[in-house]
Amino acid sequence: MRYLLLPALLLAAPAFLPAARSHDSNPMGGAGDFEEGRRLYRIHCGVCHGMEGKTGRGARLARRTYRHGNSDAELFDLIEAGIPGSDMPGLWLEEDDIWRILLFVRTFAEQAGEACEDGAGDAASGELVFNSQGGCLACHTVGSEGGRLGPDMSFAGESFTGEELREALLEPASQVARLYRAVRLVTKDGERVEGAWKNENLYRIYLMDRSENLRSFRKADLESLEFPSQSLMPAYGGVLDEAALNDLVAYLCTLRGGREEDAQ
Amino acid sequence: MNRTALPCAMAAILALASGVRGEITIEDLVRDPEVGSDWLNYHGGYSGHRHSLLDEVTASNVGGLRMEWVFQERIAEKFEVTPLVHDGIMYISVPPGDVYALDAETGARLWRYSRQLPPKLIACCGLVNRGLAVLGDRLFMATLDAYAIALDRKTGRLLWESKMIDYRLGYSGTLAPLVANDLVMVGTAGGEYGIRGFIDAFDVATGERRWRFYTVPGPGEFGHDTWAGDSWKSGGASIWLTPSYDPDLNLVYWGVGNPGPDWNGDVRLGDNLFSDSVVALDADTGKRKWHFQFTPHDVHDWDATQVMVLLDREYRGRMRRLLVTANRNGFIYMLDRVTGEFLRATQFVKQTWAVGISEEGRPIRRPGMEPSAEGIEVFPAVAGGTNWMSPAYNPDTGLLYISCREGSSLYFKGETEYRPGTRYWGSMFVNETTMHNWYGAVRAFHPVTAELVWEHKLFQPAWAGLLSTAGGVLFAGTSDGFFKALDVRTGDELWHVSLGARIQASPMTYEAGGRQLVAVASGGALFTFALPRSEPRQR
Repeated sequence: MRYLLLPALLLAAPAFLPAARSHDSNPMGGAGDFEEGRRLYRIHCGVCHGMEGKTGRGARLARRTYRHGNSDAELFDLIEAGIPGSDMPGLWLEEDDIWRILLFVRTFAEQAGEACEDGAGDAASGELVFNSQGGCLACHTVGSEGGRLGPDMSFAGESFTGEELREALLEPASQVARLYRAVRLVTKDGERVEGAWKNENLYRIYLMDRSENLRSFRKADLESLEFPSQSLMPAYGGVLDEAALNDLVAYLCTLRGGREEDAQ
Repeated sequence: MNRTALPCAMAAILALASGVRGEITIEDLVRDPEVGSDWLNYHGGYSGHRHSLLDEVTASNVGGLRMEWVFQERIAEKFEVTPLVHDGIMYISVPPGDVYALDAETGARLWRYSRQLPPKLIACCGLVNRGLAVLGDRLFMATLDAYAIALDRKTGRLLWESKMIDYRLGYSGTLAPLVANDLVMVGTAGGEYGIRGFIDAFDVATGERRWRFYTVPGPGEFGHDTWAGDSWKSGGASIWLTPSYDPDLNLVYWGVGNPGPDWNGDVRLGDNLFSDSVVALDADTGKRKWHFQFTPHDVHDWDATQVMVLLDREYRGRMRRLLVTANRNGFIYMLDRVTGEFLRATQFVKQTWAVGISEEGRPIRRPGMEPSAEGIEVFPAVAGGTNWMSPAYNPDTGLLYISCREGSSLYFKGETEYRPGTRYWGSMFVNETTMHNWYGAVRAFHPVTAELVWEHKLFQPAWAGLLSTAGGVLFAGTSDGFFKALDVRTGDELWHVSLGARIQASPMTYEAGGRQLVAVASGGALFTFALPRSEPRQR
């Protein structure tokens, strides 16, 4: 095989409309179907979406709602036809096998939801921590408010488990998304800049600085360029007490987007 | 076959025989490696050098290159095509099944052929096509629905179409065909779908199939015993890159793809011939003259679909007809292309799977490097130390240029079951893309000794091929969208431009309107560059 990345579909090609389904809801439900769905998922989906639907270059599946559809029929069509204009290909499989894959994929969402609701904190107090005491809003967006240096938290409750959120708060460097890696540089003019990595090539590096300016630097103009192992986000273990951390996780678990435009 | 245009078949034969002005004869195709104003074969010439005699653009003036024109299509798929050019007309294939004739000087569209494809195509790596072949008054293409077709070069009209096999079983055509003598040859992709690979040769005039060579031998055929049980029926060994051809020996050198399932070899114990091999076939009969397998019983997906570079060089005191190829498994191989004799293999990227290569050319494997349920890190990565992107050979420097990929993958092994038309992989891989080990480089090697002469590092491993020119310029592309010119002697960068999308094709050059143009595909577009005219011009 040449490589496995980038299977893509044509935009606006009527030829790729999904074929007819004989059911609107998943007719599969047996243990054998589930196991077969797991097996097929591993072969066809796991490379991009991760074996537990949490990691990879594809969309995170361990969430309760999806951007492109949530009903059985919608998800069947997505798996069967792919998402035009994205790297998500359609699968050339029998109808029953697609339903079996969906049967397995649905369990990701259940796990995600349960985990994120399982906190001991108070969400209302957590919102106060997020907006004031913790200073989170300075760098993270929720809905239409907040900063842009860090990842958008509007879907935190869908995208992460409570455990993952807690770990991110205590050890923020453990899993930093690629687009938010810390960059520290000094120009030959003596300017020191720290920010979040946005792009890089042989000639230049692009970042968002602490003041949310998108900036570009020629590597030839730099005295030094570092990628610190620490995250731009402080570790909150020494900043917030246990109760405040619980409250914060509880609040984050309530963030599940909402309006379609927020999802974009 | 659908004989839609038998009268044209006769015209083609006449054109071949008489060399009608403006027509393309076998002699034009054989005139190799002297590729000049035209570009008539995927590789430029039959020898796989991707070197042009054009020298208007030089190492001194390449810094003045400007974009000349760009061709775009309203599709999300990527272009992997190397255009053909003849007499000022460019011919390109565009995903998923279109062909255009363009004015090579301005990019203006002259005609379009659009193949009506079935609703569901099966392709592992995009609905791509790498280009066309040409002879006489006709163009040839392999299609995603597994046909070979011929078009009228003047109008784009379909002249014949010949079915290779039922595409619904996982077969497809993505390579630019090869024309040799009176045959057009194609092979079938689909190595991830449990196909049984083959190469077909069709009569250029009629589309009638003259021969077929199975890259997975059937019962009674040589090599069949290298497949356990019935595994040969779904053994893969696809064909998806244009072969090189030696007209004097009348041998075609095909690089063959991986065995299936890719990462679990338990069901296909044995060497699995002719997967991951080069097979030298007689062009007229399709009979195997010799073969050489780079990676017996491959479990890392290391197809041998890299360009076979044909060179005549001195080796150990006498001139030899050589075949040199940098393989996905991390070694550059040199063979005698008359006999297939193994002469030398040299590691050219970091690799951890083999202790070395034996005197017979067989890898000496390092134990414990096979895919496992837990995953095992192996260098090179699944995409290999290089891949289908073209190398280039410059006769002036005597150097072979290769786009090298450094990095590793985690290789997993799992269970898989053959079902017609579905993926037959045997689990998966994850690329280890940590910054310290994941990069690319254009490297210049002495082709006989494999000595590294220079290296030009790239930020990421590239998918773009190389183009060498008599002007002393080596053109290269990158995965972050830069098209660049290097000095063939030093590797120093002379010029670059950002094209805005990954370059996943190999560049070419030609002459139109009295000037040298350089063309390369990037994303879903084709870009051309030239030096500015010195005097005002009108179009």
